[in-house]
Amino acid sequence: MSTEVTLPRLGQGMESGTIVRWLKAEGDTVAQDEPLYELDTEKVTQEVESPVAGVLLRILAGEGEEIEVGRAICVIGEAGEEVTVEAPPVSPVPADADPALAESAEVPAPAPAQEPERDEGREAAAAKADAEPASSTAADEGGRLKASPLARRMARERDIDLRRVVGTGPDSRIVAEDVERAAAAPAWEAKPVPVTAGSEVLPLTSVRRTIARRLSEAWQAPHFAISMTADMTRAIELRERLLELTPEGAPRPTYSDILTKVSAVALLRHPGMNAHYEGDQVRLFSTANVGLAVAIPNGLVVPVIRHCEAQSIPEIAGARADIVARTRENRLTPDDLEGGTFTISNLGMFEVERFFAVLNPPQVGILATGAIQEQVVAIDGEVAVRSRMEMTLSCDHRAVDGATASDFLRTLKQFLEDPGLAL
Amino acid sequence: MAPVAQNQALTREQLVGFLQEMLLIRRFEEKVEERFRAGDLAGFLHVAIGQEAIAIGVCRALEADDVIASTHRAHAHALAIGTTPNALMAELYGKVEGCSRGYGGSMHLYDLEHGLMGANAVVGGGLPAITGAALSFKLRAEPRVAVAFFGDGATNIGTFHESMNLAQLWKVPAVFVCENNGYAESTPAWQQLPIDDMSKRALAYGMHTIVVDGQDVEEVHGAALEARRYAVEGNGPVYLVANTYRLTGHYVGDPQVYRPREEIREARQTQDPLEKLRATLDVSDGDWEEMERAAVQVVEGSVEFAKNGTDPRPEDAMKNIYA
Amino acid sequence: MPEISYREAVRDAMVQAMRSDPDVFIMGEDIAEMGGSMGVTQGMLQEFGSERVRNTPISEMAIVGSGIGAAIQGMRPIVEIMYQDFTTLAMEQIVNQAAKHRYMSGGQLKVPLTIRTQGGAGWSPGAQHAQQLEAWFVHVPGLKVVFPSIPIDARDLLWSSIYDDNPVLFFEHRLLYPVKGEVPEEPKSLEFGKARVHREGDDVTVVATGRLVHESLKAATELEAEGISVEVWDPRTLLPLDEESLIASVKKTSRCVVAHEAVTRMGWGAEIAAVVQEEAFDYLDAPIQRVGSKFAPLPFAPVMEQYVVPHKEDVTAAVRRTLERS
Repeated sequence: MSTEVTLPRLGQGMESGTIVRWLKAEGDTVAQDEPLYELDTEKVTQEVESPVAGVLLRILAGEGEEIEVGRAICVIGEAGEEVTVEAPPVSPVPADADPALAESAEVPAPAPAQEPERDEGREAAAAKADAEPASSTAADEGGRLKASPLARRMARERDIDLRRVVGTGPDSRIVAEDVERAAAAPAWEAKPVPVTAGSEVLPLTSVRRTIARRLSEAWQAPHFAISMTADMTRAIELRERLLELTPEGAPRPTYSDILTKVSAVALLRHPGMNAHYEGDQVRLFSTANVGLAVAIPNGLVVPVIRHCEAQSIPEIAGARADIVARTRENRLTPDDLEGGTFTISNLGMFEVERFFAVLNPPQVGILATGAIQEQVVAIDGEVAVRSRMEMTLSCDHRAVDGATASDFLRTLKQFLEDPGLAL
Repeated sequence: MAPVAQNQALTREQLVGFLQEMLLIRRFEEKVEERFRAGDLAGFLHVAIGQEAIAIGVCRALEADDVIASTHRAHAHALAIGTTPNALMAELYGKVEGCSRGYGGSMHLYDLEHGLMGANAVVGGGLPAITGAALSFKLRAEPRVAVAFFGDGATNIGTFHESMNLAQLWKVPAVFVCENNGYAESTPAWQQLPIDDMSKRALAYGMHTIVVDGQDVEEVHGAALEARRYAVEGNGPVYLVANTYRLTGHYVGDPQVYRPREEIREARQTQDPLEKLRATLDVSDGDWEEMERAAVQVVEGSVEFAKNGTDPRPEDAMKNIYA
Repeated sequence: MPEISYREAVRDAMVQAMRSDPDVFIMGEDIAEMGGSMGVTQGMLQEFGSERVRNTPISEMAIVGSGIGAAIQGMRPIVEIMYQDFTTLAMEQIVNQAAKHRYMSGGQLKVPLTIRTQGGAGWSPGAQHAQQLEAWFVHVPGLKVVFPSIPIDARDLLWSSIYDDNPVLFFEHRLLYPVKGEVPEEPKSLEFGKARVHREGDDVTVVATGRLVHESLKAATELEAEGISVEVWDPRTLLPLDEESLIASVKKTSRCVVAHEAVTRMGWGAEIAAVVQEEAFDYLDAPIQRVGSKFAPLPFAPVMEQYVVPHKEDVTAAVRRTLERS
């Protein structure tokens, strides 16, 4: 008896995913819980294990194809078992597939008709983010272009591509006015750029698409930012001492780890910064789960280290080393990305001196830190050279005011300048 | 309670006529049962076998302009007031030639031309309109009466009391005929009526009340004549209780589990209004056969007529909703 | 043109009909000497006498039912049900009898009966004396349902109801009785199913009935100051409905708000929303918004009552929602 394996929901809010790579081929034997395929969801790429043991009889979902949760992706059964599949593969036959094989499929039923509107929406989701990275893209949330019936009709009649129209209605819905504006705008804006123009089109990966959508949403929060510079002399001493104490082979503590630890302590002293903005309320947290912005090829993710206030710096270093490694290896789980209460983004290693970070909603604050640099400063009327680091705290002004933000940042500065205070 | 007026005027010929009409109703109802069981007829059918004397006795006492309202058990009233067997049977067959053009069915017979203001499938539903029709006769000073037929079960419903109260209050020319057959559908009187004497229902309204044996057409007719005269002369409405017995089930196909077979058998022997009148008139077997033949011929003709009738077009359903 | 109140307008239609037509008479509870619980029939007993201005017992079934009987016999009775809440007592007669006699008879008869009733919250009568139940009747084929919002419509639509050959539910609003307006002396027969546009506008069509017409007009004036142009569209008769004019208005404005005092859930506004989306989907630029009472029985305490029933502010907010930008 064969089992039809469907795409599982691997996290809250996951509606679909793309199979990046099948780890087994048709005919291979697979054990239960053995990795079966690599899946790209809008959050992470991960290996997904087989729910059953047996022989992979038939693959129903091609690599690179976006699949809705619950759809059949393969059939696993006993060797030689005949497979009857109710829903034949939707994906086009891969280029390298044997056409004869495709034709000999036992159930040559036509692919289930997908709603053209949904197709249009999905394409639009990709195209829009591409064409207008700075504009709000909530209108294409969930792969469905949001436009009022009137806007759709006008676009149809005036031959306007809705994917090129910025929606200004609720939830960025495209309304009639937007279509009128688009119609009045220069033609280049309303017409796709010809392919011959020496450009290259890169379809967005779902991670990139998610980043685009999340940041567009985040951008709607009224931001403000404040900066302070911390004298890092004692932090550097602390790090050196920690390095001395680090056993061979153990993760080496970094300035980020120190920053994570003292930030966590500072957050608990200023709970207004350790919070989520939830529309009509603000939720304060009693523990600091600090997210670290980690660069990945063509994107970035923010894995979370939990309960940082309760962990020692070496423990934090261990946790950090683990998630960074797993991030690079695409082995993050959805759990790694959830539950953050504050985010730190450090571009010091890129020689950035200072920068401003976009919020990571619903968190109300994000800290951007630059490189530690030797600077000439005046101390008690004397000229001195000190190692200093600039910190810029971005806040959601709906939840946080300047005074709260300043108090927090000053505490953080004190902790860096005198780490003992953080005990 | 007034004594039943003796009606000396009824001749033997008239009574034989009543018998012939009652026989027609009986054979018609039997045919309805037969055609329903054969699968010819749709819907929900209630026959009045055993209650023919009330329909004929009352309706023969009415004048041409008088109106009646009937109940779910309406065939006898319709035939008695003048609806033709053809029009009635055609209605049961859902034909355009039916008395309600196929829109009503067995429980919703209308024949305004003959004074049938509507049979009503809601128990007691037609009583208020009879009070209202009688009010209009009074307001327009027309010498007409409006008659409501209903069963003993209807005396438990609000419309009965509100209509009786209002009719008496305004002294409108209405006659409320209670066909007391002892059952509200399947429920015997003792389970649904707190009093034995149905005439007491009108006491609270101070309404003139007459009680008759509903199986005796002569007595019913005499009482109806008196009631009509009383009402039309402006004395107010009359409550006429006719004690009767339903010789068949509540509806066609009713297994009648709620009453003993013995009771039905005995009633058929002792309470059949047709047999009573035939005995009184001492109708010879030969004459009876002749009457039978005439009734059957009319009934068979009505079935023939109905079957050959015109089916309404489905879209006719959207007509007659508004005037 | 004389200016009279909504109450006087209703009375005027009845008085004029009774003066010219002996077939018209009125029945109801406390309508004679007392002149009706809302004073609508005041003075009519004196002019027409107790045969044509008939006080009835508290018997809603018989009031409506006897009206039906007299109507079938060719008269044109007007019956008053003191409060809309009490139409529930006559529901069987209205729904099973009045609405269906003509149909069940295959068109043999007519039921030219007018059932007047009134309701409306805002004076703390509690849960059984101020409901707005018009939606119950709009659901019944065979009935017509009228709900005027201004004196001239009250007079001319009641006149038209009396002379309509079908059973008509005529809803009056308690709080509108003192509202004044110009009404010419001569009654005019109005075709049912013809809306009145109280105010023209380009941005949003507010479909409103009864008291909410007035609230919507106030909202429109307020919104005009912000450059929002509101069309206030009053169907006047809920059944039949002037779909043509409704759709034309929505096609013009691309936005629609429905406002009535009855509870929103399964209310008449839901039907309007359905009709609009069926007939004008491709013209809608925003979701249709509904304004109505909250889904609660009417409470007694004035503060709670005011919370439950809709006001100008609710209309304003609904209009804004249709114009919202993110």
